[in-house]
Amino acid sequence: MKRREFLKSTCALGLLATSGMTSGMISSCASLPIVEAPVHDGVLRVPVELLSGQSLRVIRGSGLEFDIALERRDDGTYRAFLMECTHAHNPLMFNGTGFICPLHGSRFDENGMVTHGPASLPLTELKTRADGTIVAVSVE
Amino acid sequence: MDGSDGGLKRTDRATCFVMVILSLLVDEGISSAQSVRPDSQDTSSSSIASSSATTIGGYGNAFYQRNFGTQTALMDLERVVLFVGHRFTPGIAFFSELEVEDAKVTGGEDGGEVAFEQAYVRFTLDPTHSISAGLFLPRIGILNENHLPTEFNGNERNQVETFIIPSTWRELGIGFYGSSGGLPVSYSIALVNGLNSATFVHGSGIREGRFEGRNASANNLALAGSAELYLKNAVVGISGYYGGSVGLSSRQADSLQLQSGPFGTPVIIGESHVQYESGGLSLKVLGTAVSIPRASDINRAYANNTPALEYGAYAEIGCDILQSLCPVPGKQLIAFLRFETLDMNATIPSNGILDGTLKQRHIVCGFNYLPITDVVIKADVRFAHTGDQNPALVLNPSPVVVPYKNNITFFNVGLGLSF
Repeated sequence: MKRREFLKSTCALGLLATSGMTSGMISSCASLPIVEAPVHDGVLRVPVELLSGQSLRVIRGSGLEFDIALERRDDGTYRAFLMECTHAHNPLMFNGTGFICPLHGSRFDENGMVTHGPASLPLTELKTRADGTIVAVSVE
Repeated sequence: MDGSDGGLKRTDRATCFVMVILSLLVDEGISSAQSVRPDSQDTSSSSIASSSATTIGGYGNAFYQRNFGTQTALMDLERVVLFVGHRFTPGIAFFSELEVEDAKVTGGEDGGEVAFEQAYVRFTLDPTHSISAGLFLPRIGILNENHLPTEFNGNERNQVETFIIPSTWRELGIGFYGSSGGLPVSYSIALVNGLNSATFVHGSGIREGRFEGRNASANNLALAGSAELYLKNAVVGISGYYGGSVGLSSRQADSLQLQSGPFGTPVIIGESHVQYESGGLSLKVLGTAVSIPRASDINRAYANNTPALEYGAYAEIGCDILQSLCPVPGKQLIAFLRFETLDMNATIPSNGILDGTLKQRHIVCGFNYLPITDVVIKADVRFAHTGDQNPALVLNPSPVVVPYKNNITFFNVGLGLSF
């Protein structure tokens, strides 16, 4: 088999196998834009208006090693998780229903609890405080 | 002498340039980072490198195997691996895995191995991008990067990702890892040293051609890339590899009529996989193929019966019985069934010899019981079927040799852990 034929057949096989399974699920694939916010004196300050429209936002604090998932709950309070895998300290991604680590496949639900190892510890929850216009997240 | 000095100076300048670029990127990205420390749990017992500098971890497994074909049994502490990590700054961290296979290494005796499975420095550019440099595992397939015994079903790693994709496959080089800001997509691309076709061994694909960090030839290089899409309950991924397999000087290679250079006498790998998990049900499907277009040149030079094409695929279904029937927090009892098919000489060049035993099917079924997340007790049976043996490959057969068996059953019981 020639190289071109091999590449064509491998790609075709892969596309065929994956397209069938993904077509039904792609609609559930959540797009979650990253919002940037400043950090001063160990506090990430997120304007409340940035959180309008969605209950969960991924916040990138200036100079922070990991993003922060900030959730506005139904009762008007806020909850923040550090998007760092508790197994190998790799950055996490949000997949629509929870957080996933691309390195070893650990999964966490929206409450930060482990749903699939190898991680065994829940996500780090950060202290939050809201004053009406700003949500302050302690990152110190 | 002048020429070599000049070469060294050029190499030094290139190294300095890369280091300066890396330091600028890291400084630019997170030099002012706050050190975010976990406030609600102690991560020291489960981490490779925590916010607090140096930590350790590890994994290992042992098993009993009964071979009903040869009527023999084996017990082995297959591997114990120690992680050691150190975080120099929030943006620069060292990761390593030191592995001892088969419990003991003694000079002059077969068996056992002590080796670094990983030893690299990660430069975090921003929360979604990083560069790793050193000895690391390119992201190819599922098992290569994620090989903890608590994470795969069965005592043995699957055959496809052992012989077609030679996990655990680590090489020296530099890799760029990233994920999309908006979509749950991760990707990687790595430049590593290539394989050594001179050490390919008939019956093990490209496995014995890995350098694994030991005096790797850097005349030949390889590119490995991957992309994964994370859906609600599924992961869809593809990966590929393109690398040269001749690290000789052009003069030596010419004398053996081999194509040299960074990507000379290439090995090409394509792979795709899908993983699905929901409500205690898990599915895993993977397919891969390896092409060696100049296999005949390798055979002519080294007479190691290298194939031109090999492939493999497997599908696995697992069900967490406890979660389905009576959920117990932290415990899992997974029943699984895996079907594998592989052919390590699907196409052979004109100067190769067909070996029917390398066309194989394996059916594996069994149980994984995890009393806690980090410990697993495994029991499984593997039914192996191969094609016929080629008498032309049996040199000096013993007069008392047992006839080749196309079907062999293995029974395995074992223990695994990670921490």
